[in-house]
Amino acid sequence: MSFRLNGVGLTHANGFAALKDITLKAEKGERIALIGPSGAGKTSLLSVLGTALAPTAGTAEVLDFGQNFRLTVALAKLRSRIGTVHQAPPIPGRQRVVTAVLAGKLGQWPAWKSLASLLYPLDIPGARTALDRVDLADKLFARCDQLSGGQLQRVGIARVLYQQPELILADEPVSALDPTLALATIRLLVAEAEARGATLVASLHAVDLALGNFSRIVGVRAGQIAFDLPAGEVGVPLLHELYASEGDELPVQAHEPHFLPPAAANDAATRAACC
Amino acid sequence: MLLNPAERDPAARSRLIGALATLVILWPLFQAAEVKPGVLFDPGNLKVIGYFLAGFLPPETGAEFMGYLAKATLETLAIATAGMALAFLIAVPMAYLATGAGREKATLNPVTRSLLTILRGIPELVWALVFVRVFGLGPAAGVLALGLTYGGMLAKVYAEILESVDAAPARALRHNGAGRPLAILYGLLPQASKELASYTVYRWECAIRASVVMGFVGAGGLGQLMDQAMKMLNGGEAATILLAFMVLVFAADGFSGWLRRALDTPPAHRASPFGWRSGGLGLALVVGIVASFNYLEIGLKSLLTVEAATSIGEFVAGFFPPDLSAEWLARVGKGVWETLAISVVGTLLAAVAGLLLALPKWRAPFSFLLNTLRSVPELVWATITALAVGLGPFAGALALALHTAGVLGRLYAEALANAPPAPGQALRLAGAPGGFAFLYGTLPGAAPQLIAYTLYRWEMNIRMAAILGFVGAGGLGQLLYFELSLFHHAQASTVIIVMLLLSIAVDQASAWLRRAMR
Repeated sequence: MSFRLNGVGLTHANGFAALKDITLKAEKGERIALIGPSGAGKTSLLSVLGTALAPTAGTAEVLDFGQNFRLTVALAKLRSRIGTVHQAPPIPGRQRVVTAVLAGKLGQWPAWKSLASLLYPLDIPGARTALDRVDLADKLFARCDQLSGGQLQRVGIARVLYQQPELILADEPVSALDPTLALATIRLLVAEAEARGATLVASLHAVDLALGNFSRIVGVRAGQIAFDLPAGEVGVPLLHELYASEGDELPVQAHEPHFLPPAAANDAATRAACC
Repeated sequence: MLLNPAERDPAARSRLIGALATLVILWPLFQAAEVKPGVLFDPGNLKVIGYFLAGFLPPETGAEFMGYLAKATLETLAIATAGMALAFLIAVPMAYLATGAGREKATLNPVTRSLLTILRGIPELVWALVFVRVFGLGPAAGVLALGLTYGGMLAKVYAEILESVDAAPARALRHNGAGRPLAILYGLLPQASKELASYTVYRWECAIRASVVMGFVGAGGLGQLMDQAMKMLNGGEAATILLAFMVLVFAADGFSGWLRRALDTPPAHRASPFGWRSGGLGLALVVGIVASFNYLEIGLKSLLTVEAATSIGEFVAGFFPPDLSAEWLARVGKGVWETLAISVVGTLLAAVAGLLLALPKWRAPFSFLLNTLRSVPELVWATITALAVGLGPFAGALALALHTAGVLGRLYAEALANAPPAPGQALRLAGAPGGFAFLYGTLPGAAPQLIAYTLYRWEMNIRMAAILGFVGAGGLGQLLYFELSLFHHAQASTVIIVMLLLSIAVDQASAWLRRAMR
């Protein structure tokens, strides 16, 4: 078992119910794509799996850690086994790429190593290997604010590769990348999960990316699970029903690369893909 | 790790050299500042400082004194407000001329920049001393001195803030044919307005402190009262004045927080973004400024007469030519070195203490401590530290450190709170312990701001270190104070010029450092 959600609900302090009665289970090594319209609750679901938010109803077990995620040493240990690729790469601009990648193992390293690594990066080969897999090995000692939005996103992915987590969560990991790179990056994540027997859960905006690369598809709508099927059984009518609120066209990969900064990219891409 | 050249960190060598160079430079500075932590715990000194602090209790609360106190408090507020109004009038056009923001080609205006440097480079206390001699004792000298110095400071910081925000929106507007003023108003001001406003309010708080200090040279307000109390060693009165002073600073702090929150509220859904609150605030501002000028009874006309002009001319002429004899220059050179040492040691100690105090995120006991530290001016701290460790540069460095720790702690806390939270949060979610999530995620995001604050504060501290000598804490100030009291204007002139040169050198050095660290 990799995770098991049982009747999980998540109601924000302002009364908005982001998730309602979610029951979802995954075995170790499964590769799941979350799809659904914007605001459906995909990010909230990933936040619960990543222990960022504790469910307000039901029970959540992640890896071998049960119930409420209270901040304890055990939770920190658990978190070092979960790697998250964020929608906008959470990396300080003034940090060097090598340090940003090595930060993936802060939860596993002893304190002296983390401290010393600020003065002199202690695992340069490791960082180089991870960066090599996202084609950025030449940027090892560059500073993050010298990279483009797409490159920075790949640094974020390299950090997760370096962390070697048992559960990989990805929240729209390729929304800032052009279609070719997006496909290559998704394949990389899938291959990484496969090679190490890790579980992968990715929310994706483009339906074609999801259906083409993931074995199991979970449709999310209005905070609930609309369907949970093998990729082969997800048909066009089902998808139209899922995206009913977003018009007639299904969101697929944008047909040309866009040059927007990552924060704004998501909204614009959403609109571009729907028109 | 070190054997294979390809796997070596290319930055390591320059970092090591940088660290060693810093040590080599710092060592003689610590020597010159006569840093002797042991003196702090010397039983004799402890007894003196204990006796002095014991005199603070109970604070004086007599009706007559409270009347004086209320009048002096109002006067201090009025000097600060009127001075800030003048400073703002000077700063806006100067900042517009000096900043590179909104320009298509990055040309800086050297004339305006040097004028700003001269305005800022001569400490307000020296301006005040000079104006007191020209216009006589009273608040007019204080208002003018504040207006000039703070005008220079505000203009410089406005220019820098406008340069530090994302330039793309303004550039796009200019490419669409908008003029530079409009490009700044539409493209840069929305990003910078919060910081500009909070810096202005913060400066107004500083102006309150500065107007107190200027009272020591006869420019009115709480400072004059404090000077009398200290001279008569009346601890009770001094305590009450200090308390009044802290209340003022806390009130200004609350006001500034309220104002910044108000700036955060989204504009109303109607054509004019101004509601009752901004209207009321604008009205209060105008009324406050007019009332301040009225209360102080500054006849601007009397300042603009022919007699005033000639008396200024004669006074200024007395400073020329400056004394440039080798013997005097050597003494001034030693004063410069001591001033530098005081400022460096004071700022370093303050940066360390400030960061430690900023870490607990601005919670009650720490915010109280920070506010207490920074609401007491350096000059007043110096009178106390001089009692604790004896006259000399170490007292000055400690006084600087105490006050600056409060200022930096508060600025650091704000910078850390404003730093992007996502990187640190992401690291915590990947299992990093809180401290390391901070070091790897939050601190790099806040570092440019922290370094900018520290460097800027160091610049101010060099100017302040030059003044601390007025109460016997070493450096250039001690020289200037002696020479001015003896009417040795030629010698004083040399010291003032050297202060200015020092300030320019610091400007250059800090600009270079900022570029190097970018």
